[in-house]
Amino acid sequence: KLEIDSFTGYKIYPSKGRLFVRGDSKIFRFGASKNESLFLQRKNPRKIAWTVLYRRMHKKGITEEVAKKRSRKTVKHQRGIVGADLAAISAKRNQSTQVRTQQRLAAISKAKLEKKEKEAKRPKATRPAAPAANLRNVSKQQAKGGRGGR
Amino acid sequence: MIGLKSTLNVIDNSGALLVECVNVLKNKVNNGWGGVGDEIVCVVKRARPISPGAQAVSNVLKVRRGDVRRAVIVRCRKPVRRPDGRVVRFDDNAAVLLNNKREMLGTRLGGVVSADLRMKGWGKIVSLAPKVSPSRHHSRNPVRSEPF
Repeated sequence: KLEIDSFTGYKIYPSKGRLFVRGDSKIFRFGASKNESLFLQRKNPRKIAWTVLYRRMHKKGITEEVAKKRSRKTVKHQRGIVGADLAAISAKRNQSTQVRTQQRLAAISKAKLEKKEKEAKRPKATRPAAPAANLRNVSKQQAKGGRGGR
Repeated sequence: MIGLKSTLNVIDNSGALLVECVNVLKNKVNNGWGGVGDEIVCVVKRARPISPGAQAVSNVLKVRRGDVRRAVIVRCRKPVRRPDGRVVRFDDNAAVLLNNKREMLGTRLGGVVSADLRMKGWGKIVSLAPKVSPSRHHSRNPVRSEPF
């Protein structure tokens, strides 16, 4: 297994270098006595110019990697749902506006017819309820008054 | 490389803190150095104070200063080569106390122990250790590409 040097960031091939276990059980791998010596002198790798840590911090030689990272856009796929499969959805979406308005008018007129039938059926018993309901609606808004919905 | 007069930290809970090596037990050789996994005879130089009240709890023998005991070395500063070529070095010298039958005196270990112990036949200590360094398993992941 290829390790990386914990001071410089270089690769350590097997049978090279040393492994140092510190008193707090942290492990440090060194590829060369140079790295080990610097570490023991408690130098900061961020200040040693040839280490990977320094280069990353000062952004040396990294422009190639950055250029690659822009191309990630998720593509949206249209999927059918249980109630309406894909064909139905696209059919509804692709209806021209004319067809839609026609459908709407048809629906409205149908609803109006049904409503009239209903009202004709129901005798005067419900009529006091209806204006009372209107009154209630109006009064609610008025009650909420100056503030309503702001 | 632990020899006469070398001091080692004790990392089990037997009560001793520091022991001094008196003899390295290796095949009737009186001189010579002990490394990881070797038994030594040692004198307890410093031990944790035993309060008379708390002694009731001890199923663990608490050693005192001046006790002569055996121990096995579990960490040493001298770098040790592994068969795969790696070299491991610890920051201090440490040992675990034993009795004359090669059994541990303490019941718990605190700290890293070297994996060489297993090779020398101290599997019991290795299994009790909170961490064994270096760990045995090598992950089979491929190496990620790096700038160098």
